[in-house]
Amino acid sequence: MNKQELIAKVNAVLAEEFEVDEAIITPEANIKQTLELDSLSLVDMVALIDNEFAVKIPTTELSKLQTFEALYNYLEEKTNA
Amino acid sequence: MLEQQPDIFALIPQRPPIMMIDTVIDASDNHIVTQLTIQEDNIFVENNIFHEAGIIEHIAQSAAAFAGWQTYNSGQPPRIGYIGEIKNCHIHALPKQSHQLQTHLQLMAQAGDVSLVQTQTTANGHIIADCQMKISLKAQ
Repeated sequence: MNKQELIAKVNAVLAEEFEVDEAIITPEANIKQTLELDSLSLVDMVALIDNEFAVKIPTTELSKLQTFEALYNYLEEKTNA
Repeated sequence: MLEQQPDIFALIPQRPPIMMIDTVIDASDNHIVTQLTIQEDNIFVENNIFHEAGIIEHIAQSAAAFAGWQTYNSGQPPRIGYIGEIKNCHIHALPKQSHQLQTHLQLMAQAGDVSLVQTQTTANGHIIADCQMKISLKAQ
């Protein structure tokens, strides 16, 4: 999967799971605000990423992933490792 | 299996007659196995049947025990875990008095102080319930 395919898949699965319009997911957008995640629903995103991309995001890394761009880069690095 | 069973009173805040776990028989950073033998005087037993509320309470206390274990195992005082959400909970059968319940809880994901766990409960070896829960650890 190249980066464009990865971005498309990330956006599609997140938009479907959290019931938002895919168009509002942009690289610079804040993940929590865009997906309207609170402390309870944030764990759903971690579980979804694990299920879809086989990448476990540790809590220590999660706080660094503020934007979708950061998430794309993190997943690209982990899935190519 | 744990070589030494932890003191269940140190893992969960509940006390008799509402305690719905007798022992923790296995545990790690990402799972726990709890056990309860249903006694005649259990408050959730009626007409020899252990009712749904008792099963849910047993599962919830297993989740609390897992939260307690995570800090107890690292030598820190146990933190109290609250149930943040219960979903996809299915009860397939009601156990009877004297049956032995075992709940296997598996950590699915973690984000900060919130854990997503999947549980499966058996009674005398037969699956009677499965459930998904979110546990939130109380701030220290």
